[in-house]
Amino acid sequence: MRLKRQWWRPKTAEVNCHEVGRVLQVYLDGELADQDAGLVAAHLDDCRLCGLESGAYERVKAALAQPMPEGADPEAIERLRLFGQGLAGD
Amino acid sequence: MIAKPRHQQRHSAAFGLGGVAHYAAPVAESAPEGVEQRDEAVAKARFDEYVLPEVDVMYRVAMSLTRNSADADAEDLVQDTLLRAFRAIDRFDGRYPRAWLLTILRNAQINRVRRKRPELLRDPDATMDRVADTSDGGRTAEELVVDMGFDAEVESAFLDLSDKLREVVQLVDIEGLSYQETADKIGVPVGTVMSRLHRARKKIKKRLQAAGMGPREAST
Repeated sequence: MRLKRQWWRPKTAEVNCHEVGRVLQVYLDGELADQDAGLVAAHLDDCRLCGLESGAYERVKAALAQPMPEGADPEAIERLRLFGQGLAGD
Repeated sequence: MIAKPRHQQRHSAAFGLGGVAHYAAPVAESAPEGVEQRDEAVAKARFDEYVLPEVDVMYRVAMSLTRNSADADAEDLVQDTLLRAFRAIDRFDGRYPRAWLLTILRNAQINRVRRKRPELLRDPDATMDRVADTSDGGRTAEELVVDMGFDAEVESAFLDLSDKLREVVQLVDIEGLSYQETADKIGVPVGTVMSRLHRARKKIKKRLQAAGMGPREAST
């Protein structure tokens, strides 16, 4: 995907926060065209607010990408449900 | 006060109370005779209504919460949480049961970290690498658990998404598919994949902020 520049801005100008905001997630997903990704990366290095926004999404992505830990036991949920029903005296 | 209205939760978070205690989960430490005095039929009905449907979410969150501590047992933690929830159910006002339960879960986990690693209280650095793979020192047991809780909160926000939104997050963020592959797999245009992803992640981020776990980078 390509970065869409705001129509009144010269193509050679550095990207601004608004333009970055629109493609930030696409950039983080690695789906932004290389030449545009460079522009976004440069902006994120310089702009504190966009950097924070980007960091927040990166943390969410990293947390989601973690695999379920080993030892996750599908039967445990059933055991816990039974335990809960036992507490409630069903 | 049990579960605060949403605007008050944000208010608490804004004043830096963090993600652990701002629901002020009522964890009953009372003796069994306190239990006998209440209306057991009502307590059971409320437990059935509010707690039992959340068991699988609680287990998955407990898995995330105990991921980094080698000797923690998610199933045990959920059992503990169920017990505490059952003791406290008559004081729960029925709002945001999942948030209430996850707060109890987190508090139970904090107690465990304290109990199993009392040295954490004296020297957080010494066991840092065993509890969490973070590098900044001098933090308390609560903060360590809050950090582990970040993953748990993301997990629970993910589970809370609608099926359509969860599907794209599952394929792109968890399974690592490209936008095009995701679009092909679920039979929608790439633009739809992108807009769903965007909405889903915004929701997750909003949840984190409401839980006082917004962009923590801001404070460091």
